Parts: sequence; C-alpha cells; structure tokens
Amino acid sequence: MILMNYICAFFLMALGLYTVVTKHNLLKTVIGLSIMDYGVNLLIVSVGFHPGGTAPIFSFTELHPESFFVDPIPQALTLTSIVISACVTAMSLALVMKIYEQYGTMDTREVRRLRG
Amino acid sequence: MNWLSYQHFPIYAIMVLFLGAFLVVLLGKNRVVRAALALLSVSASLALLVALVPRVMLGGEIIAYWMGGRGMSGGYAMGIALEVDALSLFFALLVAVAVFVACLYSIQYMEHDDNVSQYYTLFLLLAGGVLGLVLSGDLFNMFVMVEILTFAAVALTAFRNTVTGALEAAFKYLVVGSIGSVCILAGTIMLYAQTHTLSLAQLSLLLPGNLNNATKLAFALLFVGFGTKAFLVPFHPLAADAHGAAPAPISVLISGVLTKSGIYGIIRLVYFLFQNMDLGAIRFLLVVVGSLSMFVCVTMALAQHDFKRLLAFHSISQIGYVLTAVGLATTLGVSSGLYHAMNHTIFKGLLFLAAGAVLHETGTTDLNQLGGLAKRMPRTTALFLIGAASISGIPPFNGFASKWLIYQAAYQKAVESGHIGYLLVTIVALVTSTLTLASFIKVSQSVFFGRLPERFEKVKEAPFGMRLAMGVFALLCVATGLLPQAVVKTLTLPAAQAVENVGRYIAAALGTEMPAIRTVTAVEIGVWNPINWLLLLGVSLLSVTLVALLGKYDRVSENEGAVRAGGKYDLFFGGEKSVHSQVGGGDLFWGFKHNWRHYFSFMHDLHSGVVNDYALWAALALALAIVFSQIVL
Repeated sequence: MILMNYICAFFLMALGLYTVVTKHNLLKTVIGLSIMDYGVNLLIVSVGFHPGGTAPIFSFTELHPESFFVDPIPQALTLTSIVISACVTAMSLALVMKIYEQYGTMDTREVRRLRG
Repeated sequence: MNWLSYQHFPIYAIMVLFLGAFLVVLLGKNRVVRAALALLSVSASLALLVALVPRVMLGGEIIAYWMGGRGMSGGYAMGIALEVDALSLFFALLVAVAVFVACLYSIQYMEHDDNVSQYYTLFLLLAGGVLGLVLSGDLFNMFVMVEILTFAAVALTAFRNTVTGALEAAFKYLVVGSIGSVCILAGTIMLYAQTHTLSLAQLSLLLPGNLNNATKLAFALLFVGFGTKAFLVPFHPLAADAHGAAPAPISVLISGVLTKSGIYGIIRLVYFLFQNMDLGAIRFLLVVVGSLSMFVCVTMALAQHDFKRLLAFHSISQIGYVLTAVGLATTLGVSSGLYHAMNHTIFKGLLFLAAGAVLHETGTTDLNQLGGLAKRMPRTTALFLIGAASISGIPPFNGFASKWLIYQAAYQKAVESGHIGYLLVTIVALVTSTLTLASFIKVSQSVFFGRLPERFEKVKEAPFGMRLAMGVFALLCVATGLLPQAVVKTLTLPAAQAVENVGRYIAAALGTEMPAIRTVTAVEIGVWNPINWLLLLGVSLLSVTLVALLGKYDRVSENEGAVRAGGKYDLFFGGEKSVHSQVGGGDLFWGFKHNWRHYFSFMHDLHSGVVNDYALWAALALALAIVFSQIVL
C-alpha cells in the first residue's frame, strides 16, 4: 500500500515536469510546478509513515520504549515545503499577471524577447 | 556558554542579516535610515565572520553549533547544526565581502528607484540565505536556504519590472530554479529515507560504501539541483537573462554569491556526503561539465552585444574553471579552484559594477550604441580595465595567479595519472582564457574607446559612492594578485585541506573518535611568482616598442622614398589613412565569427528564449544524471 504512495509521488513529479516542458500557457507552467511540489510532499509524508503508528504527540512522561508512532520529522519537513511552494506559486502568479500586462499574451512561445 | 563566546558568531552573522531585512521594511521610510540599517547589518555580519578567521582558518578548528543546545546522543545527531569548517568560512567570507561592497554601491545606484526599502529587504534576505546555506550543517536547512535565496533572487531580478525582459527573465529563472529546488528536496528526502538523518556529518559517515539505488538516485537529484543554482551548462541561459535585467548590485550577488552556493553544494556532495572523488567517472563528470561550461559560455559571450549579458556568460565560463579545478581531486586542484572562485567574485563584481555605472550614467548597456566613454568617465574606465585585465588573466592581477595554478594543477594531474584527457582540459582552459581576453578587448573598444556618440557628450563620471565600491574590488584584485602566497596560505589551502580531511568534519560534529577516513595534510603550493611574469610582460612590451620605434626611423633609400611617401609602407606604422569609423559591438572579430558562423548560428537558435526549451534541458540533464549515477556509482 505504501508502495502505491511512492509510485504516485514519482508519477506526480514526472507529470509536473512533463507539464512544464510541453504546455505553452504560462498558467499551465505554474500548475506544473505546483504538481511537482505535491509529488515531493507526498514522497516526504510517505517516507515517515509506519503502518499502524499513532500520531507523534507525546509528553516526556507518556513516552515509552514500546510506543509506536509515525516519524514526526518528515511531517515538519512537509509543512516547511508546503509553505515554500505556496510562496513560489504566489510569486509566479504575480509574475504571470505582470507579463500578461506587458506582453499581452500568455503563450510562452511569444514571451521570448531575451534569446541568443 | 557565554553569549559573547565565538561559537555563537556564525548564527549571529546569519541573524543580523535577517533581522536587518525585517527592520529595513519597518523603519525604512527615510532613505538615510534604511541605508544605514542595511550597511550596518552587512558590516556586522562581515566583522563577525572575520573574527572567526584566526581560529578556523589558521587554527584549523571546526565549530559545531547545535541550535537550542539539542546536540547529539549515542552518536546520533538529534538537533539542527551549524557547522563551520575552513571551507564554509571561506565561502562565507566571499559572500560577506561581496554583499558588503554591493550594499555600499546600492546606496547611490538605487537612489532614483521606487520602493527602495523593499529592495534592501530582499537584498538582505538573499545575503542571509546564502550565508545560511554555506554555514549550515544540515541538509534540509540547506534546502530551505536555497529556496530563500532563489525566491529573493527572482524577486530582485524583476525589481525594475519596466526594464525590457525583466519579468520574462524572472519567470524563466523561477521555473528552472524551482525544478532545481524540487530536485534538491527530493534528493534530501531520499537520503533521509535511507539513513534517517539530515546532518551532513552523520550522512558523510553513513553513506560512503553503503550505496543502493535510492541513494544513487539522490546523488543525481542533488547534483542537478546544485548545478541549477550554479548555472552550469544546460542552465546558463537563465544566468544571462537574469543578469541582463537585474540591477547591477544584484548581478554582483547572482554571479559572485549565488553561483558560489551551487559550487559549495557540489563540493559538499562529492567530497563529503558521497566521498566518491576517487571514482574516475565522478572526476570525469565534474571536469567535463566544467570544461563545457567554460567553452560554451565564452563562445556565447563573444556573440553578445549587450554589456551585462556578455558579462553574465563570462561569469558562467569562469565558474566552469572553478568546477574543473575542483574536479581534479588534488589538493592543488581544489586550492586553485577555490582561489579562482574568490577571484571570480572580486573581478566579476568589479566588472558588473562598472557596467552598472555605465548604465546609471548613459541609460543603456547596448554595445552598438556606446563608445568613447573614457573621455567622460576616466575613473570608471580605469577600474573597468583592472577588472578586464584580471578576468583575462594578465599579470599582476589576481586572475593570472589563479588561472596559472589551475593550468598547473591540470597539467600535474595529467602527468600523475598519465591520462591524456587532462592535457586536453588544460588546452581548453587556455583557449577559453584567450577568447575571454578577445571579448574584453571588444568590450573596452566599443564602450570606453572609439568615438563618443553625440548623445553622450554630457555624460558625467559615476558618483563617489559607486566609485568607492568599485575601488574596494579593484584594490582586492591587485592585492590578491600580488600576494598569492599569502592568500593561498591563509585562505585557500586551509579550505582545501578541510575538503580533504572529511574525518575531522565528522568528528567535530558527532564528538566521536575520528573515523578512519583519509586525512591529507600535505602542503602543495604552486611554484610561480607573478612578479617574474610581470617583468617578462614588461620586457616583451619594451622590445615591441623598441622595434616599432626603429621601424619609424628606418632609413629610406632615395628611389624607395617616392614609393614610401605618406608613410604608407612604413614598417609597423604603415597602412591606409582612413576616416574614423565606429567598430560596433559585434564586428571587431568578424573574421573569427565568420569562420565559426555555423557554430554561432546553431547556438543562437538553441538559446531560443522559450521557457519550455529550458525546462526540457533541465529534464534532459536530470535524466542523464540519473542514468549516469545508476551506472557508475
């Protein structure tokens, strides 16, 4: 079951990259980047998952050698990563908006004043 | 631990920058206040790092600082660490110096822009991000810092969003930069899944020798990720776009600081985490990618007709030198690579600031429109020429010293390993250096010499604050060029030895006995002296002058005299007298470009400017790296 998560995670990453490479709409490019981020986030959470584990919320008195819980570090990492990807999405959407104002198009093939 | 004790200095150095970033946006209504705040935080950061030099660089101490006092137990790293060895401090000093000078320059350069307090906030975030990256001892923290610096760099690229192409450049950088960041994060998490630690020291202990397919994949992901940050070859168009649009002090940071963070990441990856530099294939990878970056970017630079875009391609070309030297895996190679990294920050910073001064005074960086500025901006011209001489490797400036060391290291490696490929690398490096000189002759000719166009008759010299910042870099160019032995001894050799002595890095963080990993203490410094080469250059210059003068006073026999009238056939001084014609940005080396026209037009078409193509290159690089790592590791 956890294997399905890994497969999905890498599939999402590849799908995102495919979107960025093939789609000519600036907004779709941004969506592709977000899909890549979702893939990585799914990968991180899956890495920390132990089947049957409880939530990793304990005080020191409750913690025993036999307590079985999922790895809390990847969850912390995911939160950080989600916040960062939200920032990147916001920034790229702002850029897309300004580009549309200046160039009057959303097509990546026409946004190429810098080349050569 | 006393709060003033030196163990705290690294975290303070990062904190003052981030604190400054917040304070500037809160209190930055007044232009004096915001400049003072920014300058104060960058100089405090620089001072804190310089204070560590005696202990870390000369004393060889490694500072392992655990955040919140949560260290390690049972040989396992529990907390988040800052770990400062000579390599980290070397890069941190580079960052701090470049940031300080760029901040000094910004004060007058950004005077006429809107939202300057936001500019300083992003500027300090970028500086803090890079400093955090190089001082961190934790792989995930490195990722967070990479994201902070990418984010700030993208925002700063688009800061002057009315400039042609600024938004476009920022968007492309964001897209490919994000692909790189996702690679770094995925690589980090793959390593975590296999080893259950994020501490660099712990990973360096666990990974070597215990590779499986997942960690091999992680190597490829991290390599490509840091390669994006260093703008190595398939990613170089982004650097050119970003530099062309960003304000000059930001170009200094992108070329002098951001690319260094990528190089730092690659060094940590191959020398520390995986320790696979003894594999021929990994050396091959680094040297080939480095040589490709060197050559492709220098030829791209020759075809440019925008001042800053041209400098940007040269910047990546010089990064290629650094990577190649680091890939040689000898103490001399690493030491010379780091020396060149330092020099690159200094002379490239100087050149970008000079380009910024030209833009500030004339309003354009188009080589076809500029000309003759030496008459109006003599001081900027002199400073630019120092930078140009440095990057082209002319003694006694610093570029000569480090490039010489790199040639020597590559040649020595060729002799030692008996591998013909390293000789080829030396040749590529020499050719690149020649092409660099050629392209800087073109720039000086079409910007500073030649005829002054009428519209620039009233151009003034750059203001004092900007000249001061350039002066600092120029002084450093001369100082590091004239005292190479001192630089090698105090800065680059300790850093190179830190790279070779991985065991000490692990032991310092984990407090365990020093693991039995190779420790190298050999001192190898190149045998060369820039003064001799300067004398040689002087002697050849003198002989050329002498011959030329002799040619002028050549005795002319009676019957030849008629033919020679007008000096048309004089030795060395002959030639047609012609009216002055402006040589445009593109055509000084038209013969060369004509002969190579197929190559140039191919490269021009390849750099199409469509973001999908650049993403495709990234995907291709990633695919190649994954296949490569699965096969050879």
